[in-house]
Amino acid sequence: MEEDKSIIKKNTNGDSIAFEDLVLAYQDKIYNLCRYMLGNAHDAEDAAQDAFLKAYQALPKFRPEASLYTWLYRIATNTCIDYKRKPVFESLFGASEEGERLVHDRASDAPSPEQLYQSKQIDQALKEGLGKLSPKLRAIIILKEIEELSYEEIADTLEISMGTVKSRIARAREELQKIMQKFREQNP
Amino acid sequence: MSCPKTKLISAYLDKELRLREKTAFEDHVQGCASCSHALEEMRLLRTSFANMERHPAPYGFATRVMARTAELEKKKAPWFFPYFVRFAEAAVLLVVITVGILAGKVMTNSSPATTTTNISSAFSLDIFDATPPGSLGGAYLAMTEVRNEK
Repeated sequence: MEEDKSIIKKNTNGDSIAFEDLVLAYQDKIYNLCRYMLGNAHDAEDAAQDAFLKAYQALPKFRPEASLYTWLYRIATNTCIDYKRKPVFESLFGASEEGERLVHDRASDAPSPEQLYQSKQIDQALKEGLGKLSPKLRAIIILKEIEELSYEEIADTLEISMGTVKSRIARAREELQKIMQKFREQNP
Repeated sequence: MSCPKTKLISAYLDKELRLREKTAFEDHVQGCASCSHALEEMRLLRTSFANMERHPAPYGFATRVMARTAELEKKKAPWFFPYFVRFAEAAVLLVVITVGILAGKVMTNSSPATTTTNISSAFSLDIFDATPPGSLGGAYLAMTEVRNEK
C-alpha cells in the first residue's frame, strides 16, 4: 500500500520513469488476468498493453485515496470485456515450458505421467469452461479464483454491489461445475 | 432435486457467512446428501483453480508499454506551443487596439483648421473668465449688448 502511494505521488507529478515502476509492479497480475479473459498470449499482451496505456492517460485524474490495483484491474477487465476479438483459448499442447513446470510443481509429489496428464486435462477443461462463460461471469470468477481478490475488492473493481458479486460468483461456479461434471463423465 | 441451501455453498467456501450462519450451514450439511455432494464438487472446482498456472508478463513487456507511452507523448503538442499561443494573443490585442485608434480617427472626421482651433482654444486663458465663451453667462451678455445697441 505504501509502495502504491509513492508510485501514485511520483506519477501524478508527471514522472514518466515512475510510470514504469507501476508497470513493473503490476504487469504480471494484469497480464495474467488478460490471459485468462482472452485465452491466448497474443491477445493477452495486446489487451494488457492497451490497459496500461489507458491507465497512463487516466493517471492525472486518479484520486490518490482510491485503491491503485483495483483501479488497474478495472481498466484491464473493461479492456478485455470490450476486446475486439472473441476469446480463443490455446490448446493443451500449446502450453509453455514454464506452465508445464508450474503444473508439475502444484501437482502431488512425484506425480505419475497419467496424473500429470490428467492434471493438464483438467486445467484445459477449466480454461475452455471459462471461455464458455459470459465476459462478466468470466471476469468475476477470474478475479475471485485466480487473482484471489476479496468480495469487497471485486465490488470496487467491477463497480457493482456486494450482493451482485455474491450472486455472479455463485452463478459462475454453478456453470463451471456443470462443465467440469460433463468433462469427468467423458473422461472417467 | 437440489436443496435450496446449496445457494450458501459459495459464500460458505469464501468465508463470507456470519458465524451463526456458518455453524447452521455446517450442521445442515451433515444431514443433507445434496448439499454434501455439491460442497465436495465445489471444493474440487476450487482446488482445480488453485492448481492452474499463473502467467507472468512476457519478457520485455514493460519496455514495449513504455515505448507506446513515448509515442503518445510525441503526438501531443510541441514544447513551444504555449509560447506560440501567448504570442498570438498579444498580436491579436495589438491589432484590435490599432483598429480602434484608426476607427476613432475616421469617425471624428476633423479638418486641419478645426483641429488647430480646437487645440488653441484648449490652451486659451478665456476659459478662466467669469463668463467664458460658449457659457450661458456669455450668451446672456451678448444678448444684452445687442439690446443696448438697439
